[in-house]
Amino acid sequence: MVRVHFSRRQLCIPYGLFLALFVVIPMLLILFYAFTEEIDGVLTFTFSNFLNFFTSTAKLSTLLMSFTVAIISTAICLAIAYPVAYILARSKLRRRNVLLMLFILPMWINFVLRITALRELLDLIGLLGTQNYLNTIIGMVYDFLPFMILPLYTTLEKLDESYLEAAADLGGNKFTVFTKVTFPLSMPGVISGITMVFMPSMTNYVVSDTLSNFNITILGKLIDQYFTTYDNWHMGSMISIILLVIIFVTMLATGGFKDDGREARGANLW
Amino acid sequence: MKRRILTTALACAMLLPCALPLAGCAAEKEEVLRVYNWEDYISTPSESEGGSEESDYVDLIAEFEREYEAQTGKPIRVEYSTFGTNENMYNELKINPGAYDLVCPSDYMIMKMIAEDMVEPFSEQFLTESNYAKYGSPYIRDLFKENGWAQYAVPYMWGTMGYVYNPELSETVEEDLSSWAGLWAEEYASVATIKDSVRDSYFLGVAYVYREELMQLQEEYGAAGMKLADENYAAFNAKVTEIMNRTDEATIEQTKDALLALKEHLYGFEVDSGKQDMVVGRISINFAWSGDAVYTMDDAEPYTDENGVYHDGIYLNYIVPQECSNIWFDGWVMPKGAQNTEAAEAFVDFLSRPENAVANMNYIGYTSSIAGDAVFDEMVDWYAEGEEGDTDENGAPLVPYDLNYFFDGTSDGAHADGDFIIYVSEESAKRQICAQYPTEEVIARSAIMQHFDDDTNAAVNEMWEEVKGLPIPIWAYIVIAAIAAAGIAIGLSYMYKGKRSEPKPKKGYRRVS
Repeated sequence: MVRVHFSRRQLCIPYGLFLALFVVIPMLLILFYAFTEEIDGVLTFTFSNFLNFFTSTAKLSTLLMSFTVAIISTAICLAIAYPVAYILARSKLRRRNVLLMLFILPMWINFVLRITALRELLDLIGLLGTQNYLNTIIGMVYDFLPFMILPLYTTLEKLDESYLEAAADLGGNKFTVFTKVTFPLSMPGVISGITMVFMPSMTNYVVSDTLSNFNITILGKLIDQYFTTYDNWHMGSMISIILLVIIFVTMLATGGFKDDGREARGANLW
Repeated sequence: MKRRILTTALACAMLLPCALPLAGCAAEKEEVLRVYNWEDYISTPSESEGGSEESDYVDLIAEFEREYEAQTGKPIRVEYSTFGTNENMYNELKINPGAYDLVCPSDYMIMKMIAEDMVEPFSEQFLTESNYAKYGSPYIRDLFKENGWAQYAVPYMWGTMGYVYNPELSETVEEDLSSWAGLWAEEYASVATIKDSVRDSYFLGVAYVYREELMQLQEEYGAAGMKLADENYAAFNAKVTEIMNRTDEATIEQTKDALLALKEHLYGFEVDSGKQDMVVGRISINFAWSGDAVYTMDDAEPYTDENGVYHDGIYLNYIVPQECSNIWFDGWVMPKGAQNTEAAEAFVDFLSRPENAVANMNYIGYTSSIAGDAVFDEMVDWYAEGEEGDTDENGAPLVPYDLNYFFDGTSDGAHADGDFIIYVSEESAKRQICAQYPTEEVIARSAIMQHFDDDTNAAVNEMWEEVKGLPIPIWAYIVIAAIAAAGIAIGLSYMYKGKRSEPKPKKGYRRVS
């Protein structure tokens, strides 16, 4: 029998390779493309793509539209998912995992198929072709709701019951207990739910294209256009970078908020 | 340590691409022909389609491999891959020149590739002796000669652009849609889709903007009933082409406004869903390529299946508006660096045989640029409702549909020149046949859309982006403003709270967190 021994370092190699090949190198390529342009077949360094983005009405409108769609979708997801996750996590149901499974189940079906089906459904109730914005938001919510429920459920489920009892003992009514204890403590779940819904709703153009009959353009679509039909990888890369920065900043902001919230509110709590 | 892992990983990543080609060139016994074509653009039935006995689809790729081996004694394997857009194909060739022996871009991309010296000319022998030389439609061959593409490209499929519409939409729909501007009426726009493609929609917009000028031009040149042999055809067509290829700033601006006005009431844009949406009746007008129009009309028609069950449907029409149309085509070119030009020519020759052109037309629904007896007989089989002097079921005489401009000179003897006329009812003349083969008059007022240079392309794309991205509804601004206000409010409250709940520690004390 041969004994094979891997050191920890060796065990990291597969992921290191993966990371380098599919994350680091592509990222560098995107950066490279974003800050270059082709003039007479020669690649030269330039900021023009960057400037072009922020001076173009079309691109800024698209950015604004994506933002609006993403924010509304996220807000609706949160409003729907929080009560569901809360009830599920707090309930004494023996089979609540089965119930949770019911919310996750749709994710096992390919989302293009689900969106195509949703298109038929929206046509049936007469929304297709008339309510483009509404349809897009319905589609985003439909598609990303599980991503909001799951993290919320996990955080709420882990919430220590004794905190709530203590709060109630100290005279907090149900509302106060929720606003002062439950909600602040579920903040990590809220934050990760928001990031998981917000980011894809800014870019998932299959939803917007299919349900708005291509009437609404979001940033993901714009990137796709630059790569596949406008034949301008430089601008496409630049938009990708800008999107990346926007998401990074949002995460940083909410992440800071999370840490801050935990400490400050924790301090307030006790 | 971290750094070492990263360098190891990077080194491995660099080595990987070098290792791949080694694995590729292991066995080289049979010849290989690498073909790069549009998706679903050749008769290659899937197993479910070809497996059944009654299927009349031919697998042209397998057929070619058999025939090539039988004729040359050399076994050949066709490596067939597909692309989705011209630009994807172009980039693939740029990144990997010499990766393909034969590709099938569209008109403007062929022009671009010829201009950039990216294509290999076809051999003299092919140009004079191949099936294409014998059976290629004289109209298309002349078109290629006049434009200087004849050496470099062999046309494959071609067609026009127009509206597919449901004639029962309104009493006047046919008349209204005989102008491109018809679509701009709210009642029509709300049940119509146009292409989510910058070039096609730009064409539509330009045709709308210059519709009056185009009509004046027709009057000037007497374009009604114009034949390709008429003396002022060339001059007239050149004028139309000039107008339809305008890309000056004012034109782009006006086109943008026109398309934005159209979008206001438009049902939507489509890439591929327009056909199905027409068939199920979700929309009633579709701005379509003629080949797709044929497919849509076929699919929507009522029919009786093999069990004798009647399936209800609608008869749709196709119309090329009066002002002008766009003649488009896709053609075979051999990119520079092609390694097996001989087999590539043999493949194009094979596809240009009228029987195989019929097989392709059967399967794809687009119109082949190949004429010849087999194609004409098939068209007679599809469309003819009788002979000269016959009447349709309502007693009205059949009308002649003249296809001589397309078929003359390509017969092997079964038909004489000037006899390529199909008799159809007046109703049918507005359906598949006019999408498959436009009349000579329509051809006379159809323009080829040129390839735009980079600056023009950028300007037109920018215009299209605005059409697609605007207008922003007012509520979107309100939402953004509300979010911003809420963000500022939360931020302020935190700052305020922070000050209140964390007073400065007294002198001599340090805060312990």
